[in-house]
Amino acid sequence: MTDRPVLRLRSAAFTHPGGAGVSGLDLDIRAGEAVALIGPNGAGKSTLLNGLLGLVPRTAGTVEYAGHPHAAVGMIGVLPQSADLDPDFPISLEQVVMQGRYRRLGLFRWPGRADRAAVADALAAVGLTELAKRRFGDLSGGQRQRGLLARALAGEPSLLLLDEPFNGLDQQNRDALIQTLRDLKARGVAVIVSTHDLELARLVCDTVVLVNGEQLAHGPVDDVLTLGNLQECFEGTEIEIDEHTLVVPGHEGH
Amino acid sequence: MGYFERAMLAAIVIGAGAGFVGALVVLRRRTFFAQALTHATYPGAVAAAALGVSVPLGAAVASVVIVAIMAGIARIRRQGAQVAAGIVLTGGFAAGALLQAALPGLPVQPESLLVGSILTVTDADILLAAVVAVAAVVLVAAFGRRIAFSTFDPAGFRAAGFREWPIEVLVLGLIAASVVSSLPAVGAILAIALIAAPAAAARLVVRSYRGVLFAAPVIGAASGIVGVLASRAFAIAAGPAIALAATGCFAIALGASQLRRLPWRGRSIPVETAEEARIA
Repeated sequence: MTDRPVLRLRSAAFTHPGGAGVSGLDLDIRAGEAVALIGPNGAGKSTLLNGLLGLVPRTAGTVEYAGHPHAAVGMIGVLPQSADLDPDFPISLEQVVMQGRYRRLGLFRWPGRADRAAVADALAAVGLTELAKRRFGDLSGGQRQRGLLARALAGEPSLLLLDEPFNGLDQQNRDALIQTLRDLKARGVAVIVSTHDLELARLVCDTVVLVNGEQLAHGPVDDVLTLGNLQECFEGTEIEIDEHTLVVPGHEGH
Repeated sequence: MGYFERAMLAAIVIGAGAGFVGALVVLRRRTFFAQALTHATYPGAVAAAALGVSVPLGAAVASVVIVAIMAGIARIRRQGAQVAAGIVLTGGFAAGALLQAALPGLPVQPESLLVGSILTVTDADILLAAVVAVAAVVLVAAFGRRIAFSTFDPAGFRAAGFREWPIEVLVLGLIAASVVSSLPAVGAILAIALIAAPAAAARLVVRSYRGVLFAAPVIGAASGIVGVLASRAFAIAAGPAIALAATGCFAIALGASQLRRLPWRGRSIPVETAEEARIA
């Protein structure tokens, strides 16, 4: 049973009602494995992640969550891209992290010892324990991002979805996030990270999925991140490899 | 119970209830929606008075129609909720004014529909306000955490597997019920003062959303008491006195929050610096 993947996609497609989407998705993700989801803007990275959450309809193929057609309550944790949250809302970091437990709480049940312990663990995992009582809106951008990651962790997910988590982070917060992801992998959490950052894929991820409207390649990081694959994926767009920006030329006669 | 005691009771019940629901209005930034709703229930109240049925009932029917119209306008591309609220606010008020002019000899004073008439509230008016207030407290006890989550971070709320529309419907329904039950005390024009001002004042001086939910009804009830007392002491209309008392609470809270920022009170260390100091 331990061999059963946390997530299995077979010929899956997720399509917005407007028509845009991502298709041909075939992958297995196991406990403790981190997958980088790489592709240009508009390639369908967020669509894939939202599809796994049930926010974008699946239009082909199959998806299995630990062998089941639907994810169990609390199985998936998510760090959305550029959350449109209200920075003036009077709420503490600790209360934001507790939101990660709400799916497990009934309507009239107040958070119990297990919930508070999960919140404390999640805050410790991102290194923000001492700011727990701080108003969320008073935190820096990087601290907010780590706080939202703690919220995703507070639900004790077995699958964690991170949508562009490194956008706009300074070096200190970026290093903290990388360390947190490594700790999570060691604890057996499966992670999918969508990112433009190829260096990051090498630092924390075991495998890479290249997408551009469809799945182009999937495999170990060094096998997939080849110039040929990247040319196919990022035709004529700028990419960053090891802090150098390259312009990938388009294919001729494609 | 004499008319004065009854007015005082109504002011406390309606002030506390409007303040409590107002906390949701202010935190969710639905003030303009609530404002439009108060004005647009006016034709319903006039029609009810003309037909000889309960004025809050007429306003309630109007509020349901208005919420549906606003939801429809807000769906039109490139219009949005602000435009919908603006159109409904003025359109509803104009319809009420025309209706009132077309129906001479209404059994109620037009002013009482516009600015309220707390000295003539009935037991039924007070009971309605109490039921709305208790229902609001029970619903917020059950759904408050989810309301806060969806208000603070709608995208995260959806991603966590919750649906947003039941929360929105619940909050809009509470706002409509609060508007309708406030009309006897402060009328269509002034109701927004009793809904928005106490919560806005609480928002300035309290640092947690739970604190706002406790403080706003207290400020609302206090505004009601001060308004009724001032009305008797100075022989002025009670509705405007209550609205002004609520406005005064907001002004005091604004002053207090500005005082706290003055340089000689000392500044707290910025968060980023504090964390770096800890790490170093």
